[in-house]
Amino acid sequence: MHPSLEAFALAAGLLALGAALVHRYGFPPLPVYLLTGLLVGERLPVEDLEPLPSLGLLLLLFSVGLEFGPDRLRELSGKAIRAGFFDALALPLGFLLGLFAGLDPKGALFLAAVIYVSSSAVIVKLIVDLRRAANPESEVVLGVLVLEDLFIALLLALLGGQGPTGFLGGVALALAYLLFARFLGPRLVRFMEGLSDELVLLLGAAFTTGTALLFHAVGASEGVGAFLSGVIAAGLGLRERLEHLFGPVRDLGVALFFLVVGAEALGLLQGLTPLAAGLVLLGLLLKLPLNHLGGARAGLGRKRRLYSALYLVPRGEFNLVLGALALQRGYPLVAQVAVLLVLVSVPLGALLIRFAPELARLLYQEAPRKRPRPGGPPASP
Amino acid sequence: MKVEEVVLPGVGRKYTITVQSGDRIVIVVHNSGKRELQYFEAGEEDEPTVALDLTDEEARELGAILAGVLFHPEAVGDTQSKLGAKVIEWIKVLPGSRLAGKKVGDLPLPPGAHLLAVDRPGAPLLPHPGPEVVLEVGDTLVVAGTREAVEALKRSL
Repeated sequence: MHPSLEAFALAAGLLALGAALVHRYGFPPLPVYLLTGLLVGERLPVEDLEPLPSLGLLLLLFSVGLEFGPDRLRELSGKAIRAGFFDALALPLGFLLGLFAGLDPKGALFLAAVIYVSSSAVIVKLIVDLRRAANPESEVVLGVLVLEDLFIALLLALLGGQGPTGFLGGVALALAYLLFARFLGPRLVRFMEGLSDELVLLLGAAFTTGTALLFHAVGASEGVGAFLSGVIAAGLGLRERLEHLFGPVRDLGVALFFLVVGAEALGLLQGLTPLAAGLVLLGLLLKLPLNHLGGARAGLGRKRRLYSALYLVPRGEFNLVLGALALQRGYPLVAQVAVLLVLVSVPLGALLIRFAPELARLLYQEAPRKRPRPGGPPASP
Repeated sequence: MKVEEVVLPGVGRKYTITVQSGDRIVIVVHNSGKRELQYFEAGEEDEPTVALDLTDEEARELGAILAGVLFHPEAVGDTQSKLGAKVIEWIKVLPGSRLAGKKVGDLPLPPGAHLLAVDRPGAPLLPHPGPEVVLEVGDTLVVAGTREAVEALKRSL
């Protein structure tokens, strides 16, 4: 028997245990995967699990591209764009913070991106799991995430290149893909309509990983490649079909990926300086007032503004891509901040989102509602 | 009635329906097929009075009931769907009806009226019923044709 099977059985068992523990309390499972990894640490044979966790990250970025691609921009309401503008102020502020921390401009840009981008994948999952999708703030938060992912994909293309050739290679490749989708896409889609689901799943997996490899080969970030694959698939109108086909595979990969991130985090966090810890704290605090202000500009009520700011706390997939890249480029401080931010913000964000209504009641000293509620308790009191 | 539609990236679509009284119903159709319903009383912005989750199947059933596909209130008369000058009509075989026990082939169908299907409770819909099918109490006949022909058929029953 291959040793990876043993590692997989162990990992899947741990994940299932973690998810089962929190399921009873109506708590989302993602942060638990991270914490489980952190607890198990080096005892988990991480190498044996490959390529599932890496594939999980690529598929995650693919589905972020699929759902949060630039074609969503047309559907965004004005309120989401106003909120997104205030949210984007985190970029220049983070850049200044990086300069103050003694980083060079490129390192500071990395830090700004790490502080700025919230995790669409984690936040969407939290919103769905906690049944908050119908609430007015969810619309604003999801719109803001579309803008964030777009900005970060561009920034990653800019930062990810190894020197100017890598950047140009990435841009040329992206252009080639977009042209291909523009001119050959419709014919391809008509052809794919007749294919079986299984074949489409395999083709999609080959397309995503192949694109990521190609981007890596020209010296650009493979994460951008996976994101771009999703954007192109969405542009071709394959969104529903691929989302449906990839969902379960991606969820398994993502769970393993978060477990591995947790298990590997201890090594990276050794030699943690107070500077890194301070930057993480400032990074977490920096976005709260900006998003609160953005929520106000989007026309949300007092309580909903607070919710929208809390919703955007979790950082995730893009932070880990940025962190790995920063480490490669010689910015270990930024890599530490990126990973630590994920470790802290996912469980903290999940808690904050879960208890946002209670928090708002506490903060605003709101009297309990007197009107009787017919029927069951509402989703979000 | 006012309907607003918003895309929720990664989640699905949200429809906000404001009815005449000012009450609002928010419906989220998830990509997974799940539906979330929230009801807000008029003037209430923040907190739904009730919330409800439906599976895809339940939501379709509810939708069909709301659209009057499954049951047609007697008070409103029989349901007619208009297809230009043609109509579709649902005719129920009530207890004591002359139709009960009759073969489809013996139905007095006037020219221009067609029997599309027979809907028997607890059985799959029977499209294009053959002449040997025997009608039972509780069946619903789906009849289509010109308005005069369908009216004539209803009078003859």
